[in-house]
Order: sequence, then C-alpha cells, then structure tokens
Amino acid sequence: MKNIVIGQYVPGKGFFYRLDPRTKIIAVVFLMVAVFLLESILQVSIALLVTLFLMILGRISIGRVAKGLRPLFVLLVFTFSFQIFLNREGARLLAQPMNIGLYSLLAVLVITVLWRLLARFKKFKGALFLLWLSGVYALFAFLPAAGPIYKVFDFEIYESGVVTSIFVVVRLLIVISLSTVLTLTTKPTDLTQGLESLLRPLKRLGVNSDDFALIISISLRYIPTILDEANKIMLAQASRGADFNEGKLVEKVKQIVSLLIPMFIIAFKRSEDLADAMESRNFVPGKPRTRIHDLSFGATDLVTAIFTVIVFAGAIVLRVLP
Amino acid sequence: MVMLLSFLEIRNLSFSYNQKRMVLKHVDLAVERGEWIAVLGHNGSGKSTLAKTIVGLLRPAEGTITVDGITLSDETAYDVRRKVGIVFQNPDNQFVGVTVKDDIAFGMENLSVPKEEMLQKIAFYAEKVGMADYLDKEPSALSGGQKQRIAIAGILAMKTDMIIFDEATSMLDPTSRRELMDYIKTLHQEGLTILMITHDIEEALMADRLVVLKDGAVFADDTAEHLFQRPEAFREAYLELPSALRIYYELEAAGDMTPPLATTLWRFGSGK
Ligand SMILES: Nc1ncnc2c1ncn2[C@@H]1O[C@H](COP(=O)(O)OP(=O)(O)OP(=O)(O)O)[C@@H](O)[C@H]1O
Ligand SMILES: [Mg+2]
Repeated sequence: MKNIVIGQYVPGKGFFYRLDPRTKIIAVVFLMVAVFLLESILQVSIALLVTLFLMILGRISIGRVAKGLRPLFVLLVFTFSFQIFLNREGARLLAQPMNIGLYSLLAVLVITVLWRLLARFKKFKGALFLLWLSGVYALFAFLPAAGPIYKVFDFEIYESGVVTSIFVVVRLLIVISLSTVLTLTTKPTDLTQGLESLLRPLKRLGVNSDDFALIISISLRYIPTILDEANKIMLAQASRGADFNEGKLVEKVKQIVSLLIPMFIIAFKRSEDLADAMESRNFVPGKPRTRIHDLSFGATDLVTAIFTVIVFAGAIVLRVLP
Repeated sequence: MVMLLSFLEIRNLSFSYNQKRMVLKHVDLAVERGEWIAVLGHNGSGKSTLAKTIVGLLRPAEGTITVDGITLSDETAYDVRRKVGIVFQNPDNQFVGVTVKDDIAFGMENLSVPKEEMLQKIAFYAEKVGMADYLDKEPSALSGGQKQRIAIAGILAMKTDMIIFDEATSMLDPTSRRELMDYIKTLHQEGLTILMITHDIEEALMADRLVVLKDGAVFADDTAEHLFQRPEAFREAYLELPSALRIYYELEAAGDMTPPLATTLWRFGSGK
C-alpha cells in the first residue's frame, strides 16, 4: 500500500517531458476535437499512424500506453459490438443462420464454464474473451440443428457496420492514447498547476483557480495516506476476528460500516489538523502566493503549438470540403 | 506610557474546547526575545492547546497574548504568524505538499518569497535536516521521523523570530535528534526564540527555563537547577527526573552519598 502513485506519471526524458503542461493540455484537447472532426476511416487511420509515430518520436513506450488502454477494453469491445451488430446500412456482407436450441445452449454453457475456469490466467484475459466469443458464435452457427430448437434467425453483418465500428474504435483509441500520453509524461503537480494557470481567467467569474488547484493537489497527496489508513483499520479489525471476505451480505455491510466510521472520524481530525498546519504557515485563501514551479513557454512548446494548429486547421478543412 | 513587554506575553489565559471543562486555566507566561523555554507536562495537561492559542488557531475564553508588541486577535493573527512558527505533533497531518520540496516551500510561497530564494532555502534547510536526497519524494514514501524533519525544515525556512516545537523530534532516532538539536542550538545562539514542548527531560535541559503544566495550569516556572531541588514537586506533576538525579536522590535517601559523587551526579543530571 505504501507505493501507490496517483496518476500514471512515469519519470523519463524526451520531447513530451520538456513541454509546458499548459501546452500539453491545450494540444491534447484540440487534437481530440480534431479527431472527432474526421469523417472517413482513411483519415482516422492516418491519424492513428501519426499518433503512433509521435509516441515513438517522443520515446514513449507503446506498451505503457497499451497498459493505459486496458481498463477501457470493455468500453472498446462494447462500442465495437454495438456498431457491428446493430448497424444495418450498406451492402449485406454476411448472413449466417443461427440456431438457438437446447444442445447449442448447453454447449455454450460448457464453454462459458471453461472460460470462467481459465479466467485466473489474467494475462490472457483479452484473448480468452475473444476465444469464448468466437466459440459462442461457432456453436450457434454450426452445431447441427438437432433436438428442440427455440429460435432460428440470421446473423447479419452490413458493410456500414464494419466500417463504422472500425472507425469508432480507432477514433477512441487515438483519444485515449492522447490522454494517456498527457498523464504519462506530466507530474500530477504540474498537471494541476497547468490547469490552475489555464483556469485563471475564470477569476472574473468568482472561481479562484489557485485555491482550486491547491484542493486538487492536497487531495492527490492524501489519497495514498487514506488508503493506507483503510488498510491499517482492516488489519486491526481482522486481528480482532473480522473477516472482510466471507459472510453474508448483511455481515459484509456491517463490516464496511465498521471500516467507514473510523475512516471518517480520522479524516475529519486529519483535515482539522491540516487546516491548522496550513493556517499557521500563513496560508490565507485567495491571497496571491509565489510558486516554486513556474511554467515557461519554450521552443518545444512553439513547435507543438504550430503542429496542433496545422492539424486542427487540417481537420476543419477536411470537414468543410465536399 | 511605555510598557516593557517580553517578546511573548501571556496573561491570564484560559481556554475550553466545549465550555464544560477548562483545558487552560489562568496561564501566565512571559518569554523574552532569544530565550529557550521547555514546556513539560503529563498527557492532556494542555501543552498542545497552549501552543495553538499562541499562534491564534484557538480563540481563548479569557486573557491576552502579545507577541512582539502585537496583541493577538483575528485581525492580527497573520502578523503574529509571521513572527511565530509552529511544528506540530503529528507529522502526517501537517504535510501539505505533494512532494518534500513542495512542502518545504509551502510557507515561503504564502509569504511570497521569490522563487530563486525559495529554491536556495529549500536546498539549505533540507541539507540541515538531513533530507537533501529526498526532495522529489512523496510523503507516502517517507517514515514518520522523515516527515517530522521536513516539517521542521519548512518552518525553519520561514525565518520566524520564534519557533514552537510540539514534540517535534519525538520520532527521530537518537543520532539525528542530537544533530538537529545541535543545529537548533546554533539558531538559538543566533537569536531564535524557542518554545519546546517535550516529554524528554534530558532534551528539556537544553532550555534556559522549564515551564511545567499540570491540568491546564502553570505548576512551575523556573530554571532546571531550582526545580530539581524539589523532586517531590516533579512527582506531583507526573514527571520523571533525569536518571542521574534519580540516582542522586536514591543514594541520598540511603545516606550513602560521598561529596564528589554527589556533585558529579548533580552536574550531570541538571545539565550544568
Ligand atoms: N479538539 C479537541 N476537542 C476537545 N477536546 C480536546 C481537543 N483537543 C484536546 N482536547 C482535550 O484538551 C486537553 C488538553 O489536550 P492537549 O492536546 O493540549 O494535551 P497535551 O498536553 O498536548 O497532551 P500530549 O502530551 O498527549 O500531547 C485534553 O484533555 C484533551 O482531551
Ligand atoms: Mg500535545
């Protein structure tokens, strides 16, 4: 629990690390918008290649970015399936008659159980899922239609479904990669400071970006401490016989409450102490302060800005042109 | 009319958290500029509460606090805090920065110290507390004692006239504690006023004067030498004598005391 690092920041060198966080934030936002302006599969594929090329140029390990994609795997699969099954425009590419019957259902049940049994090989989770999916398809499609049959239907795939699903997934891949590059190469502190600086114009609307950034950075700072605390309380309660893994639902709820109450009390005490410590060190909300990190706009930022402007303008032109 | 005030003047200070029970009872205390005071007292005697009222974090029910001629109130709290810094008891709850560097900088940032000067001071004080190699570390990667050192560095860097240490070295190992105390001694010689809350009687001996709190009231306020002549008073305030003095009094009670041993033990025990 000691080494939880908030954010995905990985120390390193290279182009992206030298950029001012403000440049990075703005560039990522504009590039994301640009990607959403693209309309054809060719355009987004080129954009994906450019993104990959930039990551290689910036010496960012593609593996790391891929890791960042992992939590969103489900989202990608869902988006893909949604498009490919439900989109019924364009030429029909495939029409496979499917039989849902007693035997095919039983067979599906068997492979599902097998799949769940193998689920502990976490490394192959994605591959296993795909294997299971093709298994289900194959069983419904090719198992001889014997025994009771409940439903017969055609499994159809249309051209537009394939195109759109690939288009949507590639676009999502680019957007996620862009934001991963941002969080991978920017310290949480720099990120909040960049945000603070960008939000400064909001001061006229009564939002104090300085305090806002401080709140974020203090939250970031205390998340590991609080997780650590939760761990300690759990151990303390386990040592007195509580078991957080077993028991009925009621028991579990009780145990969670027994965890939350001390955590809240400690958190309140902590925030009181922290407020004291900040105040005694002359912190006054809203009062201007100097900062040890200051942000500076350099040559790399200029290059990035120009690149972003060109891409953004290009995307608009492509969109507007017939 | 010219009144001659000490650097810190506490007059008839009373405080209560919940109206029911007074935690501080009619405390009077004066600390001269450049003086080193140690505050002792049993758990719950009100030491931390006293420290918090001095920097205006708690509002007294009664009494006045004056720091360098400024009478503490909500309006003057900021000015008082520019003169008096405080290192709190719990190192985890006073770490504001995301990294060591940010935390040492926090107080200076609030005082609008220019960036170059801050970086210089961060390096200087991190070195002084032996944490120069940890500047980019996050608090979750530090031990309790290391966090205490950072808290101390952060306050030292603010260059206040007076510093209150609330058991601020309780988690340090003996060697680093000695090193740090030696450094604080140097600062004291350069004119820093110190109020050190401690349970360590040997550490308290470094002070010019000992103030003993008992149940929220000042039980004794005197030099170590004078206090140690009344060992029963010490026991009454739930405190323990330095071990050399305990041996001294035990031997005396046994009627087994030779004069050179007596002087040696006394000198050793009272830090003189
Ligand atoms: N936030 C609070 N609310 C209510 N009562 C409090 C609070 N903080 C402290 N007290 C009470 O005030 C009394 C004095 O507490 P204080 O923390 O000043 O003692 P202390 O001398 O610093 O003790 P220790 O040696 O344990 O640090 C205690 O009886 C304590 O229970
Ligand atoms: Mg205390």
